Amino acid sequence: MAASTIGAIGVIALFALLLLRVPVWIALTLVGFIGNSVMSGVTPTFALAGTVPFDTGSAYTLSVLPLFILMGEVASVTGLSSDLFKAARVILAGMRGGLAVGALAACACFGAVCGSSVATAATMTRIALPEMRKAGYDPGLAAGALAAGGSLGILIPPSIILVIYAAIAEQSVPRLFAAGLLPGLILTAFYMIVVVLVAFARKDYAPVGASVSLRERLAAMRDPWQFLLLFLVTIGGIYAGIFSPTEAASIGAFGAIVLGAVGGRLSLKALLRAIENTVVTCGILFVIIFGANLFSFFMVQTQLPSLLADGAHALNLSGPVVMTLIIVAYIVFGCFLEAIGMLLITVPVFLPLVKTFGYDPVWFGIIVVIVAEVGLIHPPVGLNLFVIQAHAPDIKITKIYTGIVPFLFAPLLLIVLMFLFPSIALWLPKLFYGAG
Amino acid sequence: MMNRNQAYVLLDRLRIAQLRLASMALIVMMVVTLLDVFLRYVFNSPVRGSYDLVETMMAVFVFHGMSTALLKRRNIVIDLIDSFGHRYLIAVLVRISDLLTIATLGLYAYAMITPALQAFNYGDLKMELGLPVWYLWAAALLGMAGAILCAIGALIAPADSHHDEEPA
Repeated sequence: MAASTIGAIGVIALFALLLLRVPVWIALTLVGFIGNSVMSGVTPTFALAGTVPFDTGSAYTLSVLPLFILMGEVASVTGLSSDLFKAARVILAGMRGGLAVGALAACACFGAVCGSSVATAATMTRIALPEMRKAGYDPGLAAGALAAGGSLGILIPPSIILVIYAAIAEQSVPRLFAAGLLPGLILTAFYMIVVVLVAFARKDYAPVGASVSLRERLAAMRDPWQFLLLFLVTIGGIYAGIFSPTEAASIGAFGAIVLGAVGGRLSLKALLRAIENTVVTCGILFVIIFGANLFSFFMVQTQLPSLLADGAHALNLSGPVVMTLIIVAYIVFGCFLEAIGMLLITVPVFLPLVKTFGYDPVWFGIIVVIVAEVGLIHPPVGLNLFVIQAHAPDIKITKIYTGIVPFLFAPLLLIVLMFLFPSIALWLPKLFYGAG
Repeated sequence: MMNRNQAYVLLDRLRIAQLRLASMALIVMMVVTLLDVFLRYVFNSPVRGSYDLVETMMAVFVFHGMSTALLKRRNIVIDLIDSFGHRYLIAVLVRISDLLTIATLGLYAYAMITPALQAFNYGDLKMELGLPVWYLWAAALLGMAGAILCAIGALIAPADSHHDEEPA
């Protein structure tokens, strides 16, 4: 049997196992293990299965994952998000749709210290949704803004998913963090524009609140200093080349703990909960990475990505057409695959294909994360939508579905812009670290 | 003879012990890296062996941190079938996943024995600390053993007590 046929059977088996409710890490491991055994024999596969977990589980470079997750967990329990929202609300007071725009700004800022989409959506929903509803906002618009804003957490650095992409695609974390910043800011701006457009089209959806003086607005800018400090020290430190990602993550986690403790907002109990949540989250992340590594070795051996590339060339498909097909595939996968699982399953297959068409792996990483964001918010299964409904069970899911629709155009527009202007993602990495 | 509940309680204690060990490893990782940065920039005297120490703590953190996730079934699963499958079918699939979890962890653990023994026999050392590498392998294998026991704990727990969760 041809190697590529074995690869195709492996991919089909993987999806069959996933649909049968087999956990992602087990499906990846089993298919990877059996596939590698068929391709290169059982003994070398056992050697691989023995070293992969150890090499991955004791890798210094991956220590950035738990440390950034800890920073996000601590930031979640210390009420940092509340400060951000309060400041944004005052600064934008009196503007139509100002509360929703403020919530989006707070989501973007919180995502910049949290790195997790679901955590950002859940935290900001708790804080901003009751206020928006009290102010008479349409529940669909409010929920849509929060779901979209929550998804920014995985694009704006530090992003957990970008660290995982870096590990699987053998790319530099600082370079990816630099690449994610501009697209993250542009997407935030697009989401804000969507809110403003909806608010002006349907004035009853977003009533204008009371205005405040310029002095009050300026004073409000001082409140989220803790966020600014954390962001400047961690991400600024990485960008400036002062700290490695692991060092920045350690400083960020420690800084979040100190700021929380000094401000009297972090009890020992809450700190322990944050640490334990980090352990549990990483426990499952790392077994998925073990499995993804085995699966990735299998894909390399089958040369399935090369076959796909050959097929695309034989059909005279251009790079943009292939990329469009890949993006459509990601949107379909996003209907039933969780973001990290989707990334780990697909990158070993798609990245070699994308490289043959001359696309930059860093640029592709950002595209994948943006598409994963779409997966988090698009009906019927976008996870952020359910996170919001879990916090506001009285809002019908159909209302949330209709509320999110206008926001779906924003990431798609950003992807188009990134095709036309790849430097949206590649300019900052080049500026900070030179040509890759 | 130990009944199912007693066994579960015992395994839950093991899980808590591993969780605490992993938590401590995380704190050590954070503190060591922080000290290293501080001493390097302020006194131009970085912590000797900080890199090795972080790698060692990572092994403890990762391999002992799995147990809670496995005992509590905090896996990422595609649960499309839940919306139309009969609950008995779902319970059977959960049980099959539990069995596969044990088998897959067993596979990893078995595969890790040979390189662990090689590290022991060859006397490999960490470059900065001079720490025998087999210490790390031992920590990893102990963590794996605990994880397998906790996966067995999930098997003896009710099938409908699963909490599939999205981690990030």
